[in-house]
Amino acid sequence: MNEVPPGQDPAEDADDLYRRASALDPSRPSESVRRRVLEHAEQLAAERAAKGHAAKSGSLWRAAHRPSWRPAIFGTLAAVGLAGLLIAPHFYPPSNPVISESPPAPTPRSTAAEAPAPLAQPGAQALSMLKSRDSARSAASPARPVYDAKTAPVPLQEVTTAQNMPASGGGLESAAQDARRYASSADAVPAPPAQMAARAVPAARPTDAAAELRRAAEAGDVPQLRALLDRQTAIAIDARDDGGRTALMLATLHGQNRAVDVLLAHGADPNVADASGTTPLQAALAGGQPAIASALKRAGAR
Amino acid sequence: MTVTGESDETLMARYSRGDAAAFEVLYRRHEMRVWRYLERNVGNHATADELMQEVWFAVARDAARYEPTAKFTTWLFTIAHNRMIDSIRASRRQTSLDTLGYEAEDSSPGPLAETVARDQAGALIRAFEKLPGEQREAFLLQIEGDLSVEEIAAVTESSFETTKSRLRYARTKLRELLKDYA
Repeated sequence: MNEVPPGQDPAEDADDLYRRASALDPSRPSESVRRRVLEHAEQLAAERAAKGHAAKSGSLWRAAHRPSWRPAIFGTLAAVGLAGLLIAPHFYPPSNPVISESPPAPTPRSTAAEAPAPLAQPGAQALSMLKSRDSARSAASPARPVYDAKTAPVPLQEVTTAQNMPASGGGLESAAQDARRYASSADAVPAPPAQMAARAVPAARPTDAAAELRRAAEAGDVPQLRALLDRQTAIAIDARDDGGRTALMLATLHGQNRAVDVLLAHGADPNVADASGTTPLQAALAGGQPAIASALKRAGAR
Repeated sequence: MTVTGESDETLMARYSRGDAAAFEVLYRRHEMRVWRYLERNVGNHATADELMQEVWFAVARDAARYEPTAKFTTWLFTIAHNRMIDSIRASRRQTSLDTLGYEAEDSSPGPLAETVARDQAGALIRAFEKLPGEQREAFLLQIEGDLSVEEIAAVTESSFETTKSRLRYARTKLRELLKDYA
């Protein structure tokens, strides 16, 4: 039994046959299992994080009370403070000197909006600096840079998405389409220079949105699906997971009729096959999902 | 880099420090592989569900002890293998580990095959269930777990040559069983 069969080569295509069969197999672990596993993991993580924090705090406390460490700790604090004093002024916006002694021209913006950008919002500060430069050029603007809530940086997710549009859109036409979607969602507020805002505010990459979309499709979470499709600009609706499956394919495999309808209504391509070459229509037929198969056919699935 | 682009080993390190999001990425990355390994070995959805939970609970619990000296998938599928063997022992489905899954060699379809036998996928899976247990498990460890022959030999406590033979037999038989669907 354990000998190599003589004269036979290993069946190389067996793997492909198996993968094709797997792609058509609708069997999935129960949703309740997934939920319990993730909840359990989250609970353990919270316990670990709490322990780690306590241990860290404890060690710092002990270190602070060790006489030999005190000079080092005080020295470090002093150095940090000094560095802060030297470096901090570089982060303040350059204030334009008020040349005229007459009061500045009244501005329609609110008092709150006139407050200088808080240091905690470097993106807004960067915007203010840009605005102040533009203002100086026009010579008809208030003397001080003005932080306006309306010109606050758009969420970086949109900025980075806009930056990546040509790459993720897969062509000029889709990039242009993405750009239109981006422009409409930004509510006609001029976006800040992408590279500056990108440095300013950390945020998730657009690929995360695609993964979220797939998860929502798989779980049949239609409100979340709609929220992502309506909110996310330039979302790659046909982005694939490791197995080459799109959100539409996952919704099909899990029998999520409504999710399939929503994705198709938002322009999901019904003919994107997974890594094994199986199309959503094939998966729907194999999985005994006639309603989904009909919806896919209506959308042009082959 | 976001957590979704990180290696399994890095995600495990993050999770062991209390980052629950890292675990979720890991789980979703390997969920279906582990599921197929378990379900196709035990041939029962409910049992596979129980095992699935046990395996991932063990991963979460032992994360702090995991050392990235081996691939995460090797560790993961070793846990899955051990849990499955324990489950089989407990349920006395087989009297001996040496005969693991050999009862599936008869012509009657397994529970999984019965439920999906009407479509092509069901027929293919049913054909797959006809593989002898040791060959099937070796094949699943390789195709779902990406384990090397040496790793499979270590997990299943078999010799390198035996494992190689099992894999070769499994592929030959699988091809024969699936030739009508090629």
